[in-house]
Amino acid sequence: MAIIVNLDVMLAKRKMKSKDLAETIGITTANLSILKSGKAKAIRFSTLEAICKALDCQPSDILEYVKD
Amino acid sequence: MKDNTNILTIITYVVIVSSISILLNDMREFDMEQYKSFLNWAKTADKSESWFTSKNAIKWSYYVISTAIFFWKGYLIYGFTYFVSILKEVEKGTYFSEKNIGYFKKIGRIFITYTINILVLRLILASIGSSSFSFFKESKEEFYILIPCGLAFYILAEIFKKAKQATEENDLTI
Repeated sequence: MAIIVNLDVMLAKRKMKSKDLAETIGITTANLSILKSGKAKAIRFSTLEAICKALDCQPSDILEYVKD
Repeated sequence: MKDNTNILTIITYVVIVSSISILLNDMREFDMEQYKSFLNWAKTADKSESWFTSKNAIKWSYYVISTAIFFWKGYLIYGFTYFVSILKEVEKGTYFSEKNIGYFKKIGRIFITYTINILVLRLILASIGSSSFSFFKESKEEFYILIPCGLAFYILAEIFKKAKQATEENDLTI
């Protein structure tokens, strides 16, 4: 897939658990897992904004484009 | 929503039961005893006589075709039972399921198959001279109602297929 989700990396940098992030941004751990695994088809701006706010980062820190 | 589903389920059951009773009544009125007379004729018939032109053979063809029409009518009623299956899926909340898509396709196929077969059988009946069948007069009902209905169900199946894809995509939007 061309878009890579680096959520694991950011979580490790901020020393935050997936469960805590899910609670903070108001999504289920199952959905966060889908996002982390790259199975998600799309991400809402509101979710992205909430993640950036919780992890104090930029969207580019989470999403990365890689040529196939 | 659930109340509507329940009402529709009840109406569907009423339609199915009514259709079955109409079919059974038609079968009861149809003189099955005449098969026996044909069998007796078959045993004693003059074998030198041409089979196709004999009166009994024509009669026999008529009864066979009439039985086939009963079969296809039963097949149409079987198609109605899929409405109940669709309503059960709706009640479960799985509107755009693979099952529902399959049910819509099956109903469409049954409607179209029934219409085509009934028309072919009626044409054969007309050709053997045992029916006052007029193609343009009597095929109106089938062509104007059942064939478009069958097509509508195929179209619904396609719409549900697209809706299922959209739902899956929506579920994977975080």
